[in-house]
Amino acid sequence: MTKPILITGTGVVSAIGLDKNETLDALLNNRSGVGPLVYLKTDHKEFPVGEVKLSDAEMRKRLNINDNAITTRTALMGMIALDEALKDAKLTSDMLPKIGFISGTTVGGMDMSEQYYLDYIGESTHKEYIAVHDCGSCSEMTANHFGKFAFITTLSTACSSAANAIILGANMIRCGEADIVVVGGSECITKFHLNGFNALMILDTKPCRPFDATRAGLNLGEGAAYLVLETEESAKRRGVKAQAILSGYGNACDAFHQTASSPDGEGAYRAMKEALQLADIQPDKVDYINAHGTGTPNNDVSESQAMIRLFGKNVPPMSSTKPFTGHTTSASGSIEAVFCILALQHGFLPVNLNFSQPMEDGIVPVHQSVKKELKHILCNAFGFGGNDSSLLLSKPEL
Amino acid sequence: MIKHNVYISPDKVLVDGKALTHNEKGSALLTELYRNNVSDYPKFFKMDTLSKLGFVASELLLNAEGNRDFEPREDRAVIFFNKHASLQADTHYQSTIQDPEHFFPSPAAFVYTLPNIVTGEIAIRNKYFGETSFIVVEDYDEKIIERNLKNSFQDPMTKSIIGGWLDCLDEEHFEAKIFLLYKD
Amino acid sequence: MDELIYKLKQEIIEALNLEDMKPEDIDENASLFGEGLGLDSIDALELIVLMEKNYGIKLKDPAQGKEIFKSVTVMADFIQKNRTK
Repeated sequence: MTKPILITGTGVVSAIGLDKNETLDALLNNRSGVGPLVYLKTDHKEFPVGEVKLSDAEMRKRLNINDNAITTRTALMGMIALDEALKDAKLTSDMLPKIGFISGTTVGGMDMSEQYYLDYIGESTHKEYIAVHDCGSCSEMTANHFGKFAFITTLSTACSSAANAIILGANMIRCGEADIVVVGGSECITKFHLNGFNALMILDTKPCRPFDATRAGLNLGEGAAYLVLETEESAKRRGVKAQAILSGYGNACDAFHQTASSPDGEGAYRAMKEALQLADIQPDKVDYINAHGTGTPNNDVSESQAMIRLFGKNVPPMSSTKPFTGHTTSASGSIEAVFCILALQHGFLPVNLNFSQPMEDGIVPVHQSVKKELKHILCNAFGFGGNDSSLLLSKPEL
Repeated sequence: MIKHNVYISPDKVLVDGKALTHNEKGSALLTELYRNNVSDYPKFFKMDTLSKLGFVASELLLNAEGNRDFEPREDRAVIFFNKHASLQADTHYQSTIQDPEHFFPSPAAFVYTLPNIVTGEIAIRNKYFGETSFIVVEDYDEKIIERNLKNSFQDPMTKSIIGGWLDCLDEEHFEAKIFLLYKD
Repeated sequence: MDELIYKLKQEIIEALNLEDMKPEDIDENASLFGEGLGLDSIDALELIVLMEKNYGIKLKDPAQGKEIFKSVTVMADFIQKNRTK
């Protein structure tokens, strides 16, 4: 790749923490945030989930937002993560008019529509929430809390949305259309996709066990994360340092089925291969793969096949961090990218919790804490529609 | 460079600017287009309206291009834009969970509650392994579409794109304005 | 039984949007998946919903479907034995 793309700020919120410090502490100490449902109002109490440990009211308080304001949970989590990312990159509101914001989400303001849908059609109240149902309004609400960005774009490609937001931002920087773009995604748990995933029979009633022979489905999670992408010149001019380099990325279509992954992992294979090619890096230089690893029987077989095809017998250490957070769907690409950046900075391999038994022809994931110097990490995020993306995150040259 | 384009609204179909005659309107028009121009892909009937729209529009576009061999390729991307995401499919799925006494969430309805399923459907049909994206914007804006597609050509793998506007509010309100774009 | 098989074929055509099919086109002894009707995993889930909706049969494990959906005859037989409505 011609010009390096620097990551000069990051912010994250998920079931394991409301900021990077809490997140790092949980990752290093193997502390999962998955547990019984608390905040989502549903009859489906049988499914463990990775909820962010704050109510909407508590989030509003943390953000100094008045209690009567119209908000959605996706936007509130987005604001918490964006706040951290902007501060981290030393970006202030007066600089935002020159900065773009690209966010991935798929359920958007569905949480509020679920809460008030019967009011809309019955007593015709709470109609002000209709305007915040769509995905774009969540991105705008998130961004506008901090000032006026140059542009705001929303990407919706299911569980690869945030990864694709990162790719779109990177392409804009490579085109010379922007010096700084804030990219990532946010998604709250809703009844809509909890029921939908249940209808697809891919939810586990126990904590999820990616790459384990006994895996029986995923746990849903929620959260948000944003990354500040910046050109080298801009970072130099502003006197900020790179936390990591986005050295490659790939997006490919599995072209197999609306929701299921192909048995040979074609899309995943192509996405990872493309990321390495763009960075001009050989497979043996990859030190760790943060797998999509949802814990469904289908995904983990398909993704394993893709890794075996690309790396042969020498698949690098790999793990899924979804047992920590649950599957944070549209936000997973950016949340896990931040986990990877923490791993690069602090030299450790995140553990694939709940693993005990290798699957047939599968790869054994990292299941014990390992401290290790890392240089290149692949981070995967795959979405329904066969939309598969992979990011290559690298340690900056000192 | 735009090689071919297709326009479909509930009562109008244009291929490369030429009107196609038809008898039906609304989603029945999409079925008529399928029967007259495709007919051997019964999966069409399982799709939501957005996917049906994208599917027949892309079929007309690719028939206009000709020489269809269905060989696997990764040099062609599928990138669409719209305003209403997957709202028609969302409403349909909601109708399966509306009544607590008759609560049967439909898996087949749920899988279409994402706008990008249509890009996947087109990739599956044509064995495209390249980029597939769906971008939701506030309103139709040629500049946004142009800029995003230009960016996608940054990927050296991508040589051509099926792209453009693909919007569907319900079975009576939809619009496809798509084209086949080649890298200059 | 023949009546149930015919009714089931109609229900399958409706539930799975097999628009161009008539009950007569479905061989009740042929496999529903694989070559047969070209159904996929989502169709299997739809059939599980169909059994619950129309016959009050709840399947917990999607893998169970493999046996039950071998053919319309096998499915009808299973429904006959387990139906609650």
